[in-house]
Amino acid sequence: MSLFLQSLLSGVLMGAVYALIGIGLTIIFGVMRIINFAHGELVMLGMYLAYFLFTLAGVDPFLSVLVVYPAVWCFGALLQKTVINRVLNALPQNQILLTIGIGLILSNTAMLLFTSDYRILTTSYSSSSFHLGGVSVSVPLLGSFLVTAAVTAILYWFLIKTDMGQAIRATAQDRDAAQLMGINVRWMSVVATGIGAGLAAVAGALLAPTYYIFPQVGQPFTLKAFVVVVLGGMGSVMGATVGGIVIGATESLAAVYVSSGLKDMVVYVLFLLILLFKPAGLFGKSRV
Amino acid sequence: MTTPPPSSSRRRSPLAPVAAVLAAGAALGLVPAFVSSPYALHLMVLFFLSVIMGSAWNLIGGYGGQYSVGHAAYFGVGAYTVVVLLQFRQVAPWWGLVPALALAMALALVIGSITFRLRGPYFVLASIAVAEIVRLAALNWKDLTNGAEGILVSDIPPLVVGGKVITNFVSKVPFYYSGLALALAVVLVTVWVERSKLGYYLQAIREDQDAANSLGIPLTRYKNVALVLSASFTAWAGALYALYVGFIDPATGIGLDISVQIVLTAIIGGIGTVGGPVVGAAVLVALSEALRANLVTDLLVKGGLVRETSKVGLFLRENLAHAHMLIYGLLVALVILFMPEGVVGALGAFARRRRQRLAREAP
Amino acid sequence: MSPILDIQNVSKFFGGLAANSDVSFSVEPRTVVGLIGPNGAGKTTLFNCITGYYPPSRGQVVFKGQRIDGLTPDRICKLGMARTWQKVRPLAKLSVLDNVVVGALARTRSVPQAREVALEQLKVVRLQHKADHPAGGLPIGERKKLEVARVLATGPELLLLDEVMGGLNPAESEEIISLILDIRRRGLTQMVIEHDMKAIMRISDRVVVLNSGEKLAEGLPQEIVTNPAVITAYLGEAVA
Repeated sequence: MSLFLQSLLSGVLMGAVYALIGIGLTIIFGVMRIINFAHGELVMLGMYLAYFLFTLAGVDPFLSVLVVYPAVWCFGALLQKTVINRVLNALPQNQILLTIGIGLILSNTAMLLFTSDYRILTTSYSSSSFHLGGVSVSVPLLGSFLVTAAVTAILYWFLIKTDMGQAIRATAQDRDAAQLMGINVRWMSVVATGIGAGLAAVAGALLAPTYYIFPQVGQPFTLKAFVVVVLGGMGSVMGATVGGIVIGATESLAAVYVSSGLKDMVVYVLFLLILLFKPAGLFGKSRV
Repeated sequence: MTTPPPSSSRRRSPLAPVAAVLAAGAALGLVPAFVSSPYALHLMVLFFLSVIMGSAWNLIGGYGGQYSVGHAAYFGVGAYTVVVLLQFRQVAPWWGLVPALALAMALALVIGSITFRLRGPYFVLASIAVAEIVRLAALNWKDLTNGAEGILVSDIPPLVVGGKVITNFVSKVPFYYSGLALALAVVLVTVWVERSKLGYYLQAIREDQDAANSLGIPLTRYKNVALVLSASFTAWAGALYALYVGFIDPATGIGLDISVQIVLTAIIGGIGTVGGPVVGAAVLVALSEALRANLVTDLLVKGGLVRETSKVGLFLRENLAHAHMLIYGLLVALVILFMPEGVVGALGAFARRRRQRLAREAP
Repeated sequence: MSPILDIQNVSKFFGGLAANSDVSFSVEPRTVVGLIGPNGAGKTTLFNCITGYYPPSRGQVVFKGQRIDGLTPDRICKLGMARTWQKVRPLAKLSVLDNVVVGALARTRSVPQAREVALEQLKVVRLQHKADHPAGGLPIGERKKLEVARVLATGPELLLLDEVMGGLNPAESEEIISLILDIRRRGLTQMVIEHDMKAIMRISDRVVVLNSGEKLAEGLPQEIVTNPAVITAYLGEAVA
């Protein structure tokens, strides 16, 4: 029983980070209807940024979030303005091909610049844990959970209470109507991409103390983010939040009860099942 | 967006294209008699493999509009079936090919029936997920596939027909002819499909699925036919590749990189055309080799853009050779942004505009 | 003579919204039935239910004595019912001729034979001179004619035309009207959704009026046009 609780707990903690990545992806989809296949590479970007900030400037990864977010926000916004904006009206298949290309460019540039050596970011607390009622809680995971919770809370406040947040939601719901209401939808697309990218990179920074860092690390995150978003419903931030936790827990339990090598397969099979039987996801409205 | 050229520019009778393909085939067939450089033959084998894979994808992706980015699954199934049967059961590859193709076709039917009800980007995602599942299965089923270690191909048995030894598979020539034959086959099949009921129906599905459905076209059935056809050629290419290179493992046999390369071959040349994947294959193989042989760096140095001994020069010389996938990523992005009809499509559009301009200027 | 199409208590719900509510009427063979009603009355929804684009939530659709509700659109087309779309859907990258060939292939496996049938239909709608043009480049009037040629090539017995005159100038509408009458002469049955009242009067043998998802009235054109309930339903709408 305690094994179950243990793996459930670490799954939920990890799931929060998945949720963060998924929220970024779903915001991008919500506003532009584009499926960003380079999303995992943005996580990778955050990881490397945190790594270099730590090794070169001694900045703790959790603090580095304050630098990583704005930096990658700008990168995402730039990407949207220069490249992604051009394919807003193209066939969805072509949009996805373009983002696949961008992902390849990002991961392979990283390989060129940083080599494919695995890098490890070890902080003083990287392997600490404490006990709480029979289960062991990993300190870095708990830390990332707490930061994720805080970031998510700020995001919800932003989307619900601020003008710009509401404008983004309006654009996501009905682009034409939003435009008629005077919202600058092109700018909304830029902002949304910035936010999505920034959130992904923050997740990367939070994972940096516990993950091997290498150029190809992004790819499984991209696929998992899609599972999260499809499960939660494309475009639903609430859905991505719930979906992330569910996928994190599923993966963790699968690693224990099926096999660690096959845990990814379990997630992908779940993905196919969702696409087949409940493509709109838990909270989604769009037709598949 | 990647788009095929309008069908008004396509000729009706298959005679001209078939004759052209056969003539090209005959000419290529004579090449090994005059060219013995293993390097040249090697490039041609790579070229043929690329043509096969790109054209196979083109059937379901270019004509059918179903962008599978998971074709590596069929490639891998073909490669692994033949290699496993050869190495572990001593089954000669030409017999091993039969179950390999059967498995690939069965897999295609299953995948198609499950995923073809999904539209656009969801289909793309599902195709990627399926290929990953296949790759993970190969990675984890160590008893069957040796897992991440892969399988080395040692000693393909000699091909004996009527008591005479045709080849020992030591030189590249038998692979050259196998590749050529299969490439000719898939191109001719494309020519045939383009003019057949299957081709018309696939293109209708690509243009407007609901309209096609309302015109009496059973969607999943025709998509499945195209996918099964596509999968079998892809699997055949996988088998040929594994035997030629002498090694297969999940990363090189079933990775996402392969799926992306396949799609890239088709879209660079121009999807939905017979010649597109051929042109794409030529471009990609030439580019890969130019990269590997450091020709690109040499060009930059000769052109005076980069000093050979500068930091940039040394960096490029050391790293550009391995920058395959980076260049592919750039190519995908550039093609989609600026040349969505591919090379063949762009040439066709240029020719059409010229014709229209000349027609307007005529008295 | 038994009706070729029998719509029995068809309802269609989208979430809480009743787009069609208990609609019943029948269509006699070799006639033209006009289907009219204000915007949002549920006319296209009814077409979609009949042709299998989605199944009705309740009720039955009987075509040539056979229940077809729940069948897929391609099966229904093979049984002899074809429809055009309110927003035209040309197969843009195919030529005009190839568009119609796709339709003709519903009845034959031979491409050369399909091309002959296709050329025939293009002549009927007077588009044969544009056979090799890409369908996506046609002006709206010709795209509508192409769509009619395409469905005619599928060899239907019942033709459903959804606002085939929408967006056309008077000359083009005139062409469509004579086309409809010509099709009627050839023995096909048609159901036509239209907003152009004068056209409806000229082509219809019977008229069915939908309003807010329900059938409001049914009868001869002259009866419908003087029906006070119908006039009230249209109040505020520009009646052509």
